[in-house]
Amino acid sequence: MTDINWLTLAPPLALLVAASLGVVLGIGFRSTKPTALLSLVGVVVAFVFNILLLNRSGAGEALSSFGLRYLADQGALTFNVIILVGTALTLLVSYSYLQRAELEHAEFYPLILLSATGAMVMAAAGDFITLLLGLEILSLAVYVLSAWRQGVRESEEAGMKYFLLGAFASAFLIYGIALMYGATGHFTYAEVVTVLSAAGFDQPLLATLGGVFILAGLAFKAAFAPFHQWSPDVYTGAPTPVTTYMSVVVKAAAFAALLRVFAGVFPELGAVIPTLFGVLVALTMIVGNVTALVQRSVKRMLAYSAVAHAGYLGLAVLAAAQTGPQVGAGGVQGGLGTQAVIWYLLAYTFMNVGAFAVLTLVTDKNDHGDDLERFAGLGRSRPYLAAVMAIFMLSLAGIPPLAGFIGKILVFQAAISAGYLELAVIGIVTSIVAVVYYFRVVSAMYFREAEYEPQRTRSRATGFALGVAALGTVLLGLLPGWWYGLLNAGGQLLAGF
Amino acid sequence: MTLWTVLLPLVSALVLLAVPSRGLQRAVVLVSTFFTFLLALALPQAQPFETPWIEALGLYWSLDPAGAGGVLVLAAAIVVLPAALYASFAVTERTRGFLSLLLLMQAGLNGIFLAADLVLFYVFWEATLIPSLLLLGIWGREGRRQATLKYLTYAVAGSFIMLVAILALRPLSGAPSFRMEDLLPATQALPFFTQLWLFVAFALAFAVKLPLWPLHAWLPDFHEQNHASGVADAAGTLYKVGGWGFFAFALPLFPEAAVAASPYLLALAAFTAVYAAVIATAQTNLKRLLAYASLSHMGIVGVGVFGLYLAGLNGAVYLLAAQMLSTGGLFLITGMLYARRGSFELSEYGGLAKSAPALAAVTLFTIFASIGVPGLANFPGEFLSLMGAFQSSPLLGAFATLSVIAAGVYGVNLYQRLYQGEAQAGARDLGGLEALILAPLLTAILWFGLFPHPQLARIDVQAQEVMQGVSRVVAAPPSDPSSTELQATLAVGDAQGENE
Repeated sequence: MTDINWLTLAPPLALLVAASLGVVLGIGFRSTKPTALLSLVGVVVAFVFNILLLNRSGAGEALSSFGLRYLADQGALTFNVIILVGTALTLLVSYSYLQRAELEHAEFYPLILLSATGAMVMAAAGDFITLLLGLEILSLAVYVLSAWRQGVRESEEAGMKYFLLGAFASAFLIYGIALMYGATGHFTYAEVVTVLSAAGFDQPLLATLGGVFILAGLAFKAAFAPFHQWSPDVYTGAPTPVTTYMSVVVKAAAFAALLRVFAGVFPELGAVIPTLFGVLVALTMIVGNVTALVQRSVKRMLAYSAVAHAGYLGLAVLAAAQTGPQVGAGGVQGGLGTQAVIWYLLAYTFMNVGAFAVLTLVTDKNDHGDDLERFAGLGRSRPYLAAVMAIFMLSLAGIPPLAGFIGKILVFQAAISAGYLELAVIGIVTSIVAVVYYFRVVSAMYFREAEYEPQRTRSRATGFALGVAALGTVLLGLLPGWWYGLLNAGGQLLAGF
Repeated sequence: MTLWTVLLPLVSALVLLAVPSRGLQRAVVLVSTFFTFLLALALPQAQPFETPWIEALGLYWSLDPAGAGGVLVLAAAIVVLPAALYASFAVTERTRGFLSLLLLMQAGLNGIFLAADLVLFYVFWEATLIPSLLLLGIWGREGRRQATLKYLTYAVAGSFIMLVAILALRPLSGAPSFRMEDLLPATQALPFFTQLWLFVAFALAFAVKLPLWPLHAWLPDFHEQNHASGVADAAGTLYKVGGWGFFAFALPLFPEAAVAASPYLLALAAFTAVYAAVIATAQTNLKRLLAYASLSHMGIVGVGVFGLYLAGLNGAVYLLAAQMLSTGGLFLITGMLYARRGSFELSEYGGLAKSAPALAAVTLFTIFASIGVPGLANFPGEFLSLMGAFQSSPLLGAFATLSVIAAGVYGVNLYQRLYQGEAQAGARDLGGLEALILAPLLTAILWFGLFPHPQLARIDVQAQEVMQGVSRVVAAPPSDPSSTELQATLAVGDAQGENE
C-alpha cells in the first residue's frame, strides 16, 4: 500500500529541496548570500503550500499520507505556521550575526531548513515511527548547529552535551515505542488507540510503561524539569541564533508531538501518565522560574525562562488531554487546552525570537557581554532597541496588554476549566517570580546609568526581524481574536487533536 | 464617545512620541487632556460601548459610562490637565517620554473606571502599572530603584492572585461571559466558601492598591522617590483605585463573602486611617507626610466601603474622587515649593507667608480641603463614609473619626512649619503660570465641596445596586451561622440608610 499524497508533503519537501540546492550553491559561491536568500525563499514557498493546504483542510478535506502515518490536518498545519515563522525569523537574525561572528559557512542555512523539515514531520506524525524519524531529523541538524563555533569550548561542549543527552532521550523514546508495540502490535496512533480501548485488552501495564518512556523522551526535548539540565548549558554555549531556533522551533515541534500523543493515545492509559506529567509541569514551572531569578547573564536567564515557559505550555497540554476534542456547535473542535498551546506558542515565538535577537545586537562577536550590567543605560544610548526589548520582556512576564498576557490567560483558563486549579495557582505564583527577573532587564535599561560603552552593532536583517517580532507581540496582545479566530474557525479545525 | 475617553489619551500619547518640538508637545498634551475633560463631562449622556474581544472565551471590550466610574474619570481629568501642563515646564529631562507616560496612565485609569468586563478591567488595572512604574523608575530620585522594585512586587503579587480568581470565576459560576451583567447573577449564587476565597483573592489585590495596612509599605517610598515636580505623585494618587475595585467588583460579585468579611476589613481600614494620620503628624519630610495623609484618607474610603451602608458607599466613592483633587493639588504645590527651596525637608522651610502670601493662601486652602473642612471637596465624602461606619459599628466608627482630629493636627502643623515662624530666607510668590495651573484644581475643590449632589446622584445609582446584592444576602436564610448577628444589625441599619 503506497498511499502517497504529494501535496500533503509539499511544505517539508519545499524546505528539503531548498536545503539541498543551498548546499550546492554554498559550494559554487564564495558568498553565503545566495544560500541565505534561497533558504528564505524555501521557507516562503513552504508557507504558501501550507496556506493552500490549510484552506483545503479547513474546507473539510482529510489530508494524509502513508496510510495515516503522516497527517496534514489542521493541527499539524497550524503548527507548521509557527515553525515556519520561527524559522524565517531565525534566518533573518542569523544572517548578519554569522558575518559579525566570523562563523560564515553556507551550510548553516540548509541545516536550519533540514531541522525545520524534521519539526514539520514531528508535527504531522500519526505514527510512532514517523514521530521518531521527525525527531531525529530535527535533532541531528541542531546537534551540529550548537557546536558551530569551532574551537570555542562552550560551543563545542554545548554540541557534545546536547548530542549525548539527546541520544539518551531518543533511546528512551525508542524503548517506549517498542514497549507500546509489544503491548498493542501497532505503531499508528489510531490503531494503537483501537487496541487499547478494546474490551479485554490484557497488557495495560506494558502499554503504560511504554507511555511513560515516550513521555520521558519527549519531555527531554521540550526541556521539562528534571530533564531540563542540558538546556541552560546548551542554550548559553550555542551561537545565539541557534539558541533562538532551539527555544522556538524545537520546542514547538516537541509540543506538537506531546499534544498529539496526549490528546490521542494517553487518555486510554488511565490516570498514571497525566499525574506524572502534572508533577513534571509543576516542577518545571517552579525550577525554571526560581533558577532564572538568580542568573546574572541575560542569555542564561532566558534559557531558564524558556524552561519555565515549557511548564506553562505543559499545563495547557494537560488541559488539552483532559478536555480533548469537543463537539461544539460547528462540529468537532479542538479543546481550550489545544488552542491555548498553539496560541501561546506563536506568541512565545515572537517574543522569544525578539529577546534573543536583541541579545545578538548587545553582545560582542563571541556572545560575551550579556550580563545585566551591559544593558544598563541602553534606554538612553539605543532607545529603539531598548523599547522593543522592554516590550519583549514585559510580554514574557505576562503584563497586559501584550501577547504573553493573553497567552497566560488562555493557558490558565484552560487549566482551571479542566480542573487543574492547584497547578494553575502554582503557575500564577511562579509568574510573579518571573515578573521580577524580566523586569530587572527593563530596570537596568532605563533606571541605571551605562557602565560600559554600548555595542554599536546594527543590522538591517535583524532589525527587520525585531520589527516583525515586536509588531507580532503587540498585535497579538491587542487583537488576540485574529489568531484565536483562526484556531477556532471552521468546523474541522484542530479536530486531529 | 465612551471609547474615546480611553482612546484619546492613548492616541495622544503615541502621537506625542513623534512630535519633536517642545511647544508642540505642550500643545498636544493640553488639547488631549482638555478634550478628555470635556468627554468626561459628557459621560452621563454617552452610550455604553461594547464589542467582542475573544468571543469564544467570553471576553468583551465593554465600557459603561453610566455608573459611578464616570465621576472618577471626571476628577482624574481635572487633575491630569494641570498636572500635565506643570510637567511640561517642571520636568526638564526627557519631557516627551514623561508626558507620554502620563497620558498613558490617564488612558489606563479611565479604562479601570469604565470597564464593565472583568478581564478588561484587569487588563487596564495591570497595564496602568507600567507607566506608573516607569515614571518612578526613570524620573525618580536616588532611591528610585529600591522603591520601584518594592512597588512592583506588591502590585504584581496582589494582582496575579486576583487573576487566578478572575479566571476561576467563569468555570465556577458557569457565567456565559466576563461581562458584569452576565457574571453578577451567576456569582451571587455561588456557595459561601467559594465566594469567600474568591473574595479574599480580590481583596488582596485591592488592599495593596487601596492601600490598607499592613499592605501599604510601598506607598511612602513611592511618593518620596518620585520626581520632585510632584506630578508623578499626583498621577499615583489617581491610581489608588483599590477602593473602586471593592466598590465596583468585589462587593457586588461576592455579597455573601463581603458581608462576612467586612467587619474585619472595616477594623483594618479604621486602623489604617488612624495609624497613618498619627504617623503623618510625626513626619519631617514633606512628601512622606503627604503620603501618610493620603493613606489616612484611603483608610476612610475603606471605612466607608466596608461599613456596607448606602451612605458609606456613596461617601467612599465621592471621597475617592475628592481626594484626587485635594491630594493631587497638594503634591503639585510640593513640586512648586521644591522649585523654590530645593528640598522636601520641613526643617528647610518656615516663614514663607511673608514673602509668598498668595502661595501660602492657596496651600492653606488645599490643606483645608484635604483635612475635610466643610464646604470643600473632601468633606461630603468623609462625612458620609464615617456615617456609614457608625451605622455598622459605632465603636469602629468612633475610632476612625479620631483620624479626623489627627488630620487637623498634621494639617495645621504642616502649614505652620512651611509658612509661619522664623523666616530662613524668602521665596518668590505664586507666579502667573503656577496660578493658572492650580486654578482648575481649586475651582474643582470648591465645586465638589459646595455642589456634591449631581455627582453623588450618579454614584448613588450604582451604590443602590451594590446594596441590593448585600440586602439579598441579609434577607436569605444564612448559610454561615457566624454572620447572623451581623445581618440582623445590618437589616436595621439598612432601613436607616434608605431614609438618608
